[in-house]
Amino acid sequence: MKQFELFPGKQLSRRQLLTGTAAFGSLLAAGALTGCGGNAQAAGVRDIGFWHLLSGGDGIKMQAMINSANQANPGFKVHPTVLAWGPPYYTKLAMASAGGRPPEVAIMHASRVPGYAPGGLIDPWDLSLLAEHGVTGADFAPRIWEKSQQDGKVFSIALDSHPFVMFYNTDVASKAGVLAGNGQLEEVASPQEFMDLAREMQKVTKAHGLSFGYLGSGSQMWRLFYTLYKQHGADITLTPGQPMKVDRDAAIESLEFMASLFDDTIAAKSGDISTGIAEFARGDSGMLFSGVWELPTLKKAGLPVDAATIPTLYGTPAAYADSHSFVLPRQLNVDEAKRRDVYKFVSDVLKGSLSWAEAGHIPGYQPVVQSQAYKDLTPQAHYANAADVIAYDPESWFSGSGSDWQTYFAENVQNVLLGRDKAVAGWGAFEERTNHLLSMPNPV
Amino acid sequence: MSSSLAARRKPGSLTRSNLSGWGFAAPFLVFFLVFLVWPLLYGLYMSLTGKSLTGANDSLIGFANYAEALADAGMWRSLGNTLYFTVISTVPLVLVALVMAALLNVGLPAQWLWRLSYFAPYLLASTVVSLFFTWMYNPQLGLINDALSKIGIPKVAWLNDPNVAMWAIVIATLWWTVGFNFLLYLAAMQNIPHQHYEAASLDGAGAWRQFFSITLPQLTPTTVMIVLLQILASLKIFDQVYQMTAGGPGGSTRPVVQYIFETGFTGYRLGYSAAISYIFFGLIVLVSVMQFAVTRRRSA
Repeated sequence: MKQFELFPGKQLSRRQLLTGTAAFGSLLAAGALTGCGGNAQAAGVRDIGFWHLLSGGDGIKMQAMINSANQANPGFKVHPTVLAWGPPYYTKLAMASAGGRPPEVAIMHASRVPGYAPGGLIDPWDLSLLAEHGVTGADFAPRIWEKSQQDGKVFSIALDSHPFVMFYNTDVASKAGVLAGNGQLEEVASPQEFMDLAREMQKVTKAHGLSFGYLGSGSQMWRLFYTLYKQHGADITLTPGQPMKVDRDAAIESLEFMASLFDDTIAAKSGDISTGIAEFARGDSGMLFSGVWELPTLKKAGLPVDAATIPTLYGTPAAYADSHSFVLPRQLNVDEAKRRDVYKFVSDVLKGSLSWAEAGHIPGYQPVVQSQAYKDLTPQAHYANAADVIAYDPESWFSGSGSDWQTYFAENVQNVLLGRDKAVAGWGAFEERTNHLLSMPNPV
Repeated sequence: MSSSLAARRKPGSLTRSNLSGWGFAAPFLVFFLVFLVWPLLYGLYMSLTGKSLTGANDSLIGFANYAEALADAGMWRSLGNTLYFTVISTVPLVLVALVMAALLNVGLPAQWLWRLSYFAPYLLASTVVSLFFTWMYNPQLGLINDALSKIGIPKVAWLNDPNVAMWAIVIATLWWTVGFNFLLYLAAMQNIPHQHYEAASLDGAGAWRQFFSITLPQLTPTTVMIVLLQILASLKIFDQVYQMTAGGPGGSTRPVVQYIFETGFTGYRLGYSAAISYIFFGLIVLVSVMQFAVTRRRSA
């Protein structure tokens, strides 16, 4: 029989090889078993898994908050796992929870909670345990606290609210003569006034008045659309089994206004998020519509930047927003000691969220917002009033930040914004798509 | 020795030597059963239920998912996009590979450099390629529009124009994967006996004549294989689309694999998504069988 010649001079029979493989396999298995547990367990420190979707500047701030919570609490150590924002994050979180082995605590957008809570993918918070650490419902702005609840139970604890706002270049604004006596941008109250303001700024920059990148991004289009739509005082109601309830005229008017901005004078006809931000950072425009999370980038660019809520153009102040919120993914077996640690960790992070505010977000925890230190932060303090007018996405299992619904919005509306399609047609197609989703069996 | 033994032995009897054969095959068989056969059967079962990602509604609902899928415009559209991509990508991916291999085969100097530069993109991850092309296609800052504007061609919204986006993805895919087909063609060309060309040139055949009368016919089995592999690879398109356009603009590039992913994982409807994947699976089997039939007729 042919022998295996692995080593010159030494022949190995097939039997020897098989025995050797088996022995090697069991060695590996033994190694894997002893590998469990980890060193932290041995020292009596509990490991807390924490998933979040905060990258870039946000991620660095979050890591600093985790580090200080870990230092203050020798009993546990929080291990963060950072996943990409949007479907990659939410599908993994849903699957881990469905399998019963998710992290002990996770960050979710408050607008996504209605897709998770009814299906039992996340557990409600025990308010008495939270109160032991000095955090109660009274510590949150009413709108934010209301959003934390589903069927009377609190499913999410908001770390912040992050509205869609308007940044502006004070140099450009001053040269254009559109600054008010207090040094902030003068107020405008109608679409026409806003367009005039933007044109004044364009005369200074010679490029554009406003930067707003939207191409290929459903989230961006939705954020501005929903801000304008809510300024009409209108609502959208999504009830499974029924057609979408919406003020169609308000929707179409908002879309038409958005499309009219992209005339290559007020704003670039086609730009995506990164080109929009780059244009504003270069000083080629006077204003930028973006999320508050962009503040660190803009400050780093060395711009003379200030910020405000997006002007009220249709009578009712409103700003699209969402909240990064803590949730308790459903565990197969809850480790009570670890869950108590999670309450301590979350309350520590909330109390230390002034550093989170430096990244642009409005802290959810009111004692921080009311502190003098926060009031001294500019331009954050100039849009802190947004917390009173924020509008979260309409509730349903398919809506919310980074959802497919926002993608469907882009699919039907991008051509309207590019001037290739009528607002009526684009909105009609989106409504049809939404109604199809509402007619399907509710999977949660 | 083994053939005379096998002739005397009853088929199927467990002797020591075929036991160890099973032993060797076992690791593969276990993986095959656990990661292919079992998911295949379980997926089929799942497609007959209303199963959701949250675990709600596991009950059997018969063929309701299939009926819904066949009436779902979203599925047909994404299936159409997949087929469109397959058609418009397979042709250049085969032809360009052939041309590249033929050019190299005439004996250019520094062969290793050509081979490396043609094949190297294939080694990159899809994320790298997508990121790279997303920047090049950027309407305002991209290299391509910049080059176009220098020769007076107006800017193209590569990934944002429904009429152009799929072609933009084909171009990226071509650059990325053509090296594999090129390598197969080159290997096949270098296996054609040199005497054929010598004889032909003695008979007065020129380079083109030799290419069409010797090279191409000799490459037929390779071409058939490349076309089959390419069709199957193109049908499975997902990564670069998801990263470059996420299926947009207006759903014009969303392939069926993405639709399956969306209905199942972000729309939570696992049962329904399994049904669509079985419809797609049926289509792939159909294409493979047709291709197989053609190949057999040719080789017979």
